[in-house]
Amino acid sequence: MRLLALVMVAAIIGILLETTIVHFLPLGPIMPDLVVILCVYLALHEHSVAGALGAFLLGYFVDSFSGDALGLHAFAMSLIFVLVYLMARQLWMDNVFTNVAVVFGASLLKAISVAALIAVYVSADYPWRHLFSTAWIEAGIAALATPFVFSILDGGRRVGGLD
Amino acid sequence: MLEFLRRNQVLLSSGLFLSFSLLLLVLNRGGVHRFDPLGAVFLEILRPLQLVTTQTSGAVGGVWGRYVNLVGVEKENRELRDRLRGLEEEHQHDTEIELENQRLSRLLDFQFEAPSQVVTARVIGKDASGIFESFVLDRGERDGVRPGMAVVCADGVVGRIAQASPHGSRVLLLSDHNSGVDALVQRTRARGLVEGALSRSCSMKYIKRSDEIDVDDVVVTSGLDGIFPKGVLIGRVSAVTRKDFGLFQVAEVVPAVDFSKLEEVLVLTSPPRQVNEAIDAIARARATPTPEAPTPTPLVTPSPTPRPRTTPLARPTARP
Repeated sequence: MRLLALVMVAAIIGILLETTIVHFLPLGPIMPDLVVILCVYLALHEHSVAGALGAFLLGYFVDSFSGDALGLHAFAMSLIFVLVYLMARQLWMDNVFTNVAVVFGASLLKAISVAALIAVYVSADYPWRHLFSTAWIEAGIAALATPFVFSILDGGRRVGGLD
Repeated sequence: MLEFLRRNQVLLSSGLFLSFSLLLLVLNRGGVHRFDPLGAVFLEILRPLQLVTTQTSGAVGGVWGRYVNLVGVEKENRELRDRLRGLEEEHQHDTEIELENQRLSRLLDFQFEAPSQVVTARVIGKDASGIFESFVLDRGERDGVRPGMAVVCADGVVGRIAQASPHGSRVLLLSDHNSGVDALVQRTRARGLVEGALSRSCSMKYIKRSDEIDVDDVVVTSGLDGIFPKGVLIGRVSAVTRKDFGLFQVAEVVPAVDFSKLEEVLVLTSPPRQVNEAIDAIARARATPTPEAPTPTPLVTPSPTPRPRTTPLARPTARP
């Protein structure tokens, strides 16, 4: 539960960056996805109901600052959590390269699931071109930021006595 | 049974949260009344942080920009450079104040012209995803801001309030695909619905095929949607598509407001019907000027330092 609190604090910082400073950067329609890194971290380290709740809340948090369609990111984050959790039960995933690869895949999965939900529930004319042109870059940025974010969270766990 | 639940608690709870997410999506589909139990809490938590970050990053960005420009200056000019930097920072500060002053003056002028009770708000955050179009404002329910209220600026329509917490709110921009404003072509009075799209463009739909509409026509609000008052500028027509079949034609509309540069907005807190009635009353009074003509009550929020109002209820669209 304390890990959940740590991740939620990190999520506040992540959303704060995404809604303010990132918009000052000349990135055009690309929006670096920091919250998906936190979701993967939860799925790798918190195998409990609290972890699932955390993933849902992360998505809900993003939804609260994004458009008018509540539930899109909440669904995507819950989906990422459960899939990464299932993978982590079967595979050894405690090294940097695997973490980077998982975050890259998770970010792509998030983009695809959000696009699919928009197409089904929100608007049939979803610009799929946007998905294919930006999702790769967003996933790449998230993957590059993964070691840095994971090390900060590991540090937070050590300071908080969670290890 | 209990053993099964305990062993699969993560999968079961995840399934529950996935279902709940879809339920949220369905419940909030296209509705004005949003089922959002936690949104206001999140908005309230982040608002003070966004306020500080937006103000700080603006100031730091200016200083950083100047620093980068000065990196190549030679060593012997160090003293001059320092002096120049100091002066530039001072100048930058003055320019920022001057620009802010100009923007606020325009807003104030608009506020005096706009026949409505208004709340001035500052943009403190933008959308967290790259798909939708929304801004976070620093005014909320304590200031009279409620979901569904119209948001405008001196240039025209901005959007409508999607969510409000006690001290903050979120505005869904005109260019978001969930936005829709009942509109008129100013020249021909052809009616339609201006909608945003996921491709960040706006289009005016449901215009009767027989209606006349051309490129460069000005599009304004009709006031019939119950959200925006009549006659607020939306944008200009950039293209018209009329197929060989169908009842309607579609026009691409370029919004009058540059959303990327928006810093301050006005939230219209009085009901549009009241506003429209006031506009019509003024129009009638102006059409038949008699000594007995009734003077309509101004609906503008009283200012601490009131300025003389020469045109109390002039239409916002009268501005170029």
